[in-house]
Amino acid sequence: MSSKPSRSAWPALPPRRTLAFRLSAAYSLAGLLLVILATASLYIVLRTELDRSTELFLADKLHVLRTMLRERPDDEDALREEIELESQARRYQQFYIRLLDEHGVPIMTTPGMTEQLDLAELVGRTSSRSERSIAMAGRHGQPFRITGATVAVGTPATHSDTVQIAIDVSQEEELLARYRLWFWGILLVTSILFPLVGYRIARHGIRPVEEIAATARRITSTNLRERIASQGYPLELESLAGTFNEMLGRLEESFERISRFTADIAHDLRTPVNNIRGEAEVALARSRTVDEYRDVLESSLEESVRLSELIGDLLFLARAESPLTELHRESVNIGELLTTVRDYYEASATDAAISLVVNDGTERFNAQLDRSLMLRAVSNLVSNAIAHTPPGGTVTLAATNEDAAIRIEVFDTGVGIPAEALPRVFDRFFRVDPSRSKSSGGTGLGLAIVQSILTLHGGSAEITSHLGRGTRVMLRMPAPAIATR
Amino acid sequence: MKILVIEDEVKTAKFLKRGLSEAGYVIDVAADGLEGLHLAQEVDFDLVILDVMLPVLDGWQVLARLRETEQKALVLMLTARDAVHERVRGFELGADDYLVKPFAFSELLARVRSLLRRSTPRPQDAIRMADLEIDLLRHRATRAGQKLELTSKEFTLLTLLARRAGEVLSRTLIAESVWDMNFDSDTNVVDVNVRRLRSKVDDPFPVKLIHTVRGAGYVFEAEP
Repeated sequence: MSSKPSRSAWPALPPRRTLAFRLSAAYSLAGLLLVILATASLYIVLRTELDRSTELFLADKLHVLRTMLRERPDDEDALREEIELESQARRYQQFYIRLLDEHGVPIMTTPGMTEQLDLAELVGRTSSRSERSIAMAGRHGQPFRITGATVAVGTPATHSDTVQIAIDVSQEEELLARYRLWFWGILLVTSILFPLVGYRIARHGIRPVEEIAATARRITSTNLRERIASQGYPLELESLAGTFNEMLGRLEESFERISRFTADIAHDLRTPVNNIRGEAEVALARSRTVDEYRDVLESSLEESVRLSELIGDLLFLARAESPLTELHRESVNIGELLTTVRDYYEASATDAAISLVVNDGTERFNAQLDRSLMLRAVSNLVSNAIAHTPPGGTVTLAATNEDAAIRIEVFDTGVGIPAEALPRVFDRFFRVDPSRSKSSGGTGLGLAIVQSILTLHGGSAEITSHLGRGTRVMLRMPAPAIATR
Repeated sequence: MKILVIEDEVKTAKFLKRGLSEAGYVIDVAADGLEGLHLAQEVDFDLVILDVMLPVLDGWQVLARLRETEQKALVLMLTARDAVHERVRGFELGADDYLVKPFAFSELLARVRSLLRRSTPRPQDAIRMADLEIDLLRHRATRAGQKLELTSKEFTLLTLLARRAGEVLSRTLIAESVWDMNFDSDTNVVDVNVRRLRSKVDDPFPVKLIHTVRGAGYVFEAEP
């Protein structure tokens, strides 16, 4: 039906798979269907109208003759004029009339009727069905509509005659034939035109899509900065391009974060390795005392421990992101968990002159969670809180049992975190104050680990902070808590 | 006590052999799984230290075949992967203990000792070291007759050190045993706690009992 586009937008794909092809095929099919429907219905209307006018003409003639034979059966002149001359006067629409008496003997016949029509056939055909027009072919193959009727003669009727009328409908047939020719012509033209025009339109509409695809193909990790210029696109495609650009933005951001992360890892690994290497090289450059050797060995052991911890944390983060990681949930008493953490850090807090308390309001309830992971998360928070709270301050641990969710909070009266740093505190290796963590020995992964632990539990970690007033971290997780007596 | 070390990494095998020999064990080393399996089947070892990543036969295969035979040797697995399912798999196949690389040698030694300890230590009522006396029943510690004012956690920590006198205890092990912090926690917290314990147990007295082993942990012993 529709022609295949010769140029395919994506040479790798068969043309049937392209959107332009599908669209133009759909346009063409729809257009052609409409054209066929319109022309065919016009044709049918025309045909019925022509048939009806023929029928009316025949009925009309019959009516005239019937009236004449009933009212003035002896007015032969009038009859003759009606039967023999009326038809003669016409040029295009030829009709023929025969009048037969009750014995079937012709009384009057329109001249030329015998050579146009096989009269025997005419009699045979009209005898059975009176007053209905039927199609019949003439002697020269021309189409006729014929009808016959029995007509009462005189008032009151003395006897009845038979009237037979035949009308040559070749004019109408020719008109219809011309119409049909037009019809096929229109169909041929539109079936060529529609696919071409449709394809042009579709291609034009799809061009932005191709531009988006081309941009996507161009983009690699090295030029994630590139964006699609979507000015002048239709609304739907503009939104597609916009969405695509947003995705690129997110990718770029993740990519930068990973790059930074990798650089940070390299840097954080480099320092201890550099220390081990340098100290060992210097130690071996000349002979040393036993104590000096011991010092180097101890130092390298310290650095190795640092490395081990860092690697452990990195592995933990990597594993937490794997979908295969499974939690070992058990029933854990939240109050006891917080107390465990408090006991562990109590000495550190006392040293720093900070009071570390578990909130009185903390309910004693059990929840299904991974104890050692949650212990780790809360410990990281407490460790941070103690590190950033000046002497005389307080670090508080609290837990609340909400409906179908539990909330663990750690808040301090410490130095707080500047607002601009707040969104990034959960990032790996992010340090609010890069200089201080080195000395406190943190890997800069503490909060990232907290977040991944909460993610594993299907929960979230949120942080709020006011400079100089303190920081509050909230751990929320959906865990049906089981109240304990 | 005979120990078989199956480890393909030369340096690791070397320091294990040396460290364990110095701790008083007899050590054999095999560099691949198959060799290790043959050795273990020929000689009666008390303990097999088995690396998971091995050439020829990996640690899992060696473990499975060992458990098929009559070998009663205890097995301590070493692995670079600490995924939980690995650990579970190890225990399912009949490993007796499991250690993740990188590990502290003191940690390994502690595990080897506890595995090879023939009998469980008989419950003690008291531990004495120099002039320190720990009364385990009454939860009291005295030094040179003076009562030491210890918090319950400090008492637990002191008891742990004293029970395993002479062993280097890593910070991780201490955090786990005393505070139930079973992960690589913020270990400088252990340092703070030990320092506070020292201020009560050692500082006022001439003989020091708690010693720092730099980079490794703490050891409890009376100075010679």
